[in-house]
Amino acid sequence: MSKKPTVGPALHKVIMVGSGGVGKSALTLQFMYDEFVEDYEPTKADSYRKKVVLDGEEVQIDILDTAGQEDYAAIRDNYFRSGEGFLCVFSITDDESFQATQEFREQILRVKNDESIPFLLVGNKCDLSDKRKVPLNECQTRAQQWQVPYVETSAKTRENVDKVFFDLMREIRSRKTEDSKATSGRAKDRCKKRRLKCTLL
Amino acid sequence: MSEVMKDFDKPDFSVDKYTKQLVKECVGGADLQQRKKEIQVYSDQTSATLKKSVYANYMQFIETAKEISHLESEMYQLSHILIEQRNILASLTDEKSPGNAQNNEEGEEQPTQEDVENSHATRAVKEMVQGFNGNLEGKTFLNEGALIELDTNDYRPIQRVFFFLFNDVLIVCKVKHDKRLEFLSEYDPKKIAVINIKDLDGVRNAINIITPDGSKIFQSVTAAGKTEWIEKLEVAFRFDQQKKTNKKGPAPQPPKAKQTSQQQKDSTNDAKSLVSDLSPTDSHAGKTVENYGPDWIHTASEEIQTLVAQRYFEDAQALIKRTQDYIAKDSSFVNAKHITEKVKALETQLTDVLLQELSNCHCRNLQVTLRASRRSLKILVDIGRARQACGTLLKVATMALRTAQREARRNNTEISELFFCDLTQVACEFLTAFETQPACVGALVVWCNAELQYFASQLIKHYLTKGTHLDAVAKCIEGIRKPCAKLTEIGLDLSYHLEGLLRSTLESLIEESRVRLLETVGRSEDTWQPYNLQTKSNLKRLLLELDALGIDMRTHTTGDTWINLTQSTVLFTRHYLQLTAQCAHLAKSEVLWPSLELLLRDMMMAQQAVKPVTGLSVDPNFVLKNKLYLLEELLPIAMANFRSISGSERKCEMLLDLQRHLRKQLAPVPKQRSVYQTDVF
Repeated sequence: MSKKPTVGPALHKVIMVGSGGVGKSALTLQFMYDEFVEDYEPTKADSYRKKVVLDGEEVQIDILDTAGQEDYAAIRDNYFRSGEGFLCVFSITDDESFQATQEFREQILRVKNDESIPFLLVGNKCDLSDKRKVPLNECQTRAQQWQVPYVETSAKTRENVDKVFFDLMREIRSRKTEDSKATSGRAKDRCKKRRLKCTLL
Repeated sequence: MSEVMKDFDKPDFSVDKYTKQLVKECVGGADLQQRKKEIQVYSDQTSATLKKSVYANYMQFIETAKEISHLESEMYQLSHILIEQRNILASLTDEKSPGNAQNNEEGEEQPTQEDVENSHATRAVKEMVQGFNGNLEGKTFLNEGALIELDTNDYRPIQRVFFFLFNDVLIVCKVKHDKRLEFLSEYDPKKIAVINIKDLDGVRNAINIITPDGSKIFQSVTAAGKTEWIEKLEVAFRFDQQKKTNKKGPAPQPPKAKQTSQQQKDSTNDAKSLVSDLSPTDSHAGKTVENYGPDWIHTASEEIQTLVAQRYFEDAQALIKRTQDYIAKDSSFVNAKHITEKVKALETQLTDVLLQELSNCHCRNLQVTLRASRRSLKILVDIGRARQACGTLLKVATMALRTAQREARRNNTEISELFFCDLTQVACEFLTAFETQPACVGALVVWCNAELQYFASQLIKHYLTKGTHLDAVAKCIEGIRKPCAKLTEIGLDLSYHLEGLLRSTLESLIEESRVRLLETVGRSEDTWQPYNLQTKSNLKRLLLELDALGIDMRTHTTGDTWINLTQSTVLFTRHYLQLTAQCAHLAKSEVLWPSLELLLRDMMMAQQAVKPVTGLSVDPNFVLKNKLYLLEELLPIAMANFRSISGSERKCEMLLDLQRHLRKQLAPVPKQRSVYQTDVF
């Protein structure tokens, strides 16, 4: 029926990254279908699309759920290139997954070549606080160091699931409006300005 | 302090000595008191550590026990699966015994067959693909097939393509109109990223391939084709790693499988021979030694335990029954009471194991689940635990059913038919298993209602959301009612319940559509001139289309290309009749009738109320002709269609009322023409 693609709602491309088994797919499925999936089946790369209402405006979100397993590290660059925003997920019950976020962050920055790419650090499985291995202040410190927001979620109880996706979409949207304001020539200036600010702070 | 306390740990520690020593060392009561306190603290500490370590041990113990039971159940399942597969294999070989020889030959040829396939594919690429001249020698062929390339923006098909996948190259060709292939490009499978598109505005079976020259969407005709491509591209992606493992991988596997199946066979034989060995002794012994009872009855409890552990539940049950029968007849032998208790305990144990088994057999596939549950069910019914068994079975079925629904929804396949098919399967299986247990049938009915409720809630959440168009709603509901009505064949009538569950949602959707549709009436400005279709064929096509909707417009045609009604009237006719059909489908449920009729009435009223724009010079007679046509031709046909499609005897009261009302309004027009000319138009 809708045969005019150009007029469609804005599309925001979100990529889920993080080690294997931290709950990227669980978060995605909870957001997409309001369901918590118990059984674990490693993802290769799945994409989803959904229409949502973001602050009263209808937009489309495209979620790429990537593989956490190490053997896919080589082609991750290809996936990352298409992303406009990233949810970097780790499990608060698994310190290794938290350490791995550093690597993901570096890879994303390398591929996107942009320090201020929309990015959220997400500590999942916060319903399992009795098995917590990563202290909250450590997470917050890392987020501060990267200058990104930190949110704890639970795909099981749906806590903050909508929040992380919507927060990220908001960041992506504001980035896009900034970019469209700045002409292509000024875009580089803006990057520089940002970096300058950072050093000052 | 701790050094002082070390005295306690010495093996030759004596309380008397220690006390004397203490008294000697200490000066005055205060010092003694101090020492006493210290000892007290130490004692508290020790008991606390003791508690802690006991607790820690205890936790470990529990965890180990849990792990063991997990492993146990996994072993059960594993052997279960093996048995099942062995049975399937056996039945397959039985069926195919004449073709067996052939099979073997094929098997022997397999290694060379791969090479043949390779060279075949290589030749195919060389011969069929225009413009490709790369070297394919020594490559392993993995897959080939046709796909459709979709536009990444609007998902419309761009072109048909054909893929050849070798271990280190993916060749993409365009399928030309004469079915020949034209080489487009080639990619290294290690440098492309494949994304499985799970949900994309209803585009089915699509994958996204990110290549160095951009991201592309390809669509496969079938879901199986899509999964195969994802798998094969993965194989190509890690071909080099796999080759190494592959060589080690499959070779040792077959003998293992054989071994286990042989072992199982052996153990089956063992168990059977054990039982059959026992039977002659018992008849023998039962007669001669009265005081001690037969020999077998003393070993029975151990025997049953072994049988349960080896998963020969039928045999275990038979032995339990035999023992109980014997004891019922004659309980005068030694140890009778003890054995009775033991056997009773074993029966409960058997029940537990079987129930556990039953609750473990939930798989992703409902059929597999049901088939796997048959055995346990039968035994449980036999030992009179039907109630427990039916509860567990239904729980398992719920899980399988919902998983299937979720999968189907994610793959965008038809869920309603699936749901009712699954429901029927469960019901059939259930009825065969619990035929003789009327109480259980009640549980089935309750369960069906609960599942239906869940299904309806999912339906409302995912398919009947706000803003769904009426035609989609009609299609969806039609797709549910049909299979639901079919359930009456097995004696389950859920239609009434289902209608009740969906009623309020449907009513609000209809109301919403009504408001939305009314807004669209009279939007386009009409010139109130006859409708010119420009060509003869256009007119013919339109007439045919309207004919299919149930209205004959030939009487209104004039000339070769004209219809003597306004364009908006003709278009409204088509729209109105389509709408009538959709409404009629929904109106098969009586409760929705009033709101649907209201919708149709309001649409007609709105179209009747459309007036020419002021200042436009129009022929009032022509306007009247249009109105009369709507009233006297379209409305009766719509009413007839509505009734015949919905299959109801009911009269369309509201529409008839409208007709009467409009007739009154339009009839006096010719006489008071002047009045209408000035006031209305």
